[in-house]
Amino acid sequence: MKLLTFVHQNQERIGALDDKGRIVDLHRAYESYLREVESNPAAYQMAAVVLGRDIMEFLKRSEKSLDAARKALAYVSQKTNDSNGGTIFKRSEVRLMAPVPRPGALVSAGKNFSDHVAEMSSKKGPAAPVAFLKLPGTVIGPEDDIPHPPEVKNLDYEVELAVIIGKPCLDVTEEEALEYVAGYAAFNDISARDVIRSENKTGIHLMGKSFPGFAPMGPYLVTADETPEPQNLKLRLSVNGETRQDSHLGYMIFKIRDMIAYWSQMGLNPGDVLTTGTPRGVAAGRKPDQTPWWLKPGDVVEAEVEKIGMLRNRVVAE
Amino acid sequence: MKLYLGLLESSLPNETRIFGEVDEKLLDLKLAYAAYLAHAPGNHASAYEFAAFYFPQTIAEFLERGEPALKALDEVVSFARKIGIAELRGPAEEKVAYHIKEVRLLPPFQNPEKSFVIGFSDNARVEAMPKAEIPTGFYKLPQTFVPGGAPIVWPKFSEELDADACLALVIGKAGRRIPPEQAWDYIGGATILLDITARDVNRREGLTTNNLLGKNFPSSTSIGPAVLLKPTRKELENVDVKLSLDGSVKQEFALRDCVFTIEQIIARWSILGIQPGDFLAIGASMALQGDRLQNPAPLKIGSDVCCFSPAIGELSHQVVSSKGVRR
Repeated sequence: MKLLTFVHQNQERIGALDDKGRIVDLHRAYESYLREVESNPAAYQMAAVVLGRDIMEFLKRSEKSLDAARKALAYVSQKTNDSNGGTIFKRSEVRLMAPVPRPGALVSAGKNFSDHVAEMSSKKGPAAPVAFLKLPGTVIGPEDDIPHPPEVKNLDYEVELAVIIGKPCLDVTEEEALEYVAGYAAFNDISARDVIRSENKTGIHLMGKSFPGFAPMGPYLVTADETPEPQNLKLRLSVNGETRQDSHLGYMIFKIRDMIAYWSQMGLNPGDVLTTGTPRGVAAGRKPDQTPWWLKPGDVVEAEVEKIGMLRNRVVAE
Repeated sequence: MKLYLGLLESSLPNETRIFGEVDEKLLDLKLAYAAYLAHAPGNHASAYEFAAFYFPQTIAEFLERGEPALKALDEVVSFARKIGIAELRGPAEEKVAYHIKEVRLLPPFQNPEKSFVIGFSDNARVEAMPKAEIPTGFYKLPQTFVPGGAPIVWPKFSEELDADACLALVIGKAGRRIPPEQAWDYIGGATILLDITARDVNRREGLTTNNLLGKNFPSSTSIGPAVLLKPTRKELENVDVKLSLDGSVKQEFALRDCVFTIEQIIARWSILGIQPGDFLAIGASMALQGDRLQNPAPLKIGSDVCCFSPAIGELSHQVVSSKGVRR
């Protein structure tokens, strides 16, 4: 299933993509199912409780909400017309937000592809997974604009896979790690390299990864059952149609299951997001001159993960 | 004025309330304000609704309500004093005043967007290392927060835990790119933060310029117990935060010990935008022992660690083993 968060008439809603590429409002759909199939007299309230108010509550409900979503989707997508109105939308009728618009923790791996480690001139890959926290408030939708802050000179991109956690996990093993995943989305880890450099003098980087809008994510949360081999996917990023990054998640130093196991030591919860780190091809790694590749207002960045989806964001001057 | 966030014994987890400390009692501010409205001439028909607007379920939302909510707070406090705290009941005779032990206190902020500790901010460090030029920071995840009294659970991955007393500057007003001369207007209050660090992991992570697992694990951040609301500059400068370990004081920190001014910190971090209920904590006082910076408050299983300040209250914790802790 492809789960998503969308905005219709200024309201944030949980949805799923049906097999015709239409967007189904899950609350409305499940309400119809409960009323029309199960004759539930409190269908509206029941749908709200079973699905939760937003995707974070939905993910906390785990299998219960997923089962309901599947039933709802199957029930309404066989209908040819939207008899109730407001349940099924064309893609163009709504605005997509990130599937998880405000994650709990957003843990982004650094130095996790050997070709990227080399281009950033680090001597060798790390001995244990390296990651930093991006602020959850940096997340934007798959087609939203990326603001170019006036404070930033060296704005860069990093295509990654986002791994959305579906169950509480603490100290899980590599073998069981993927059982804790709700699903996957494409991710672009926007980075202000000059700000990061200035922060690194005292050993900590935070601001350079966390300006508002520095985390495009989406377009859907593709559920784990549809993605049996998340490690076996291609990644690609282009700027104004020119390919900059073209790689494969198989080249990760610490694999997805290693990352989940390692970071589960800090305790992960449904709606937390881990991102995989990025392969070579970022602007900061361009030799000899980085200048032509820094993002500038007007640039269109497309970040794509095979079978998961594509983000298309325009950079705009703030 | 000190504000607390808490639950009553029969409350559901999502029924948090704001309490204000008046004459050593905690007033349920929403009900007290409803009583004030109902008591006023004209007998307010929608007292509960108005009270719920000014005193919503979290302190962050209260701060978002701005000046009108602060005015409502003044009104309710003078009303409560006039009636007498012991006599005060809600419009339908509900209980309003509680002993602090009757309230299950929570971290005053549950899910701030920005919960940062400003790194390398204490003067003590400057002796041993070059002064930091900008107030950099690290992030303490809200999921690591515990209230005072909660056990601090020793994480399996570390051999070396220590504690740091911090003073958290609470943001009271939303803003972005705030010039230094306006910074003070954005301070909504202050609270205490106890920053637990897995120092061995932190040292290792520092080599790759990140700061994550060593600072973020369940119960690695204690905040509260109260928010000292809208202190004057002088009051804030006089807030001394101390940390004691098994009864003896190991750290002392006040605003004057910070290498950065409030203006520098707000100007820097408001570049990203700040919201009511966000906080920027300063502190983390390492001490020079010989030629090496050492945290003076190393912990062990069974340690009693307490962070306190007369103006704000105390956070007391015992360090426990992860064995036998229900997760």
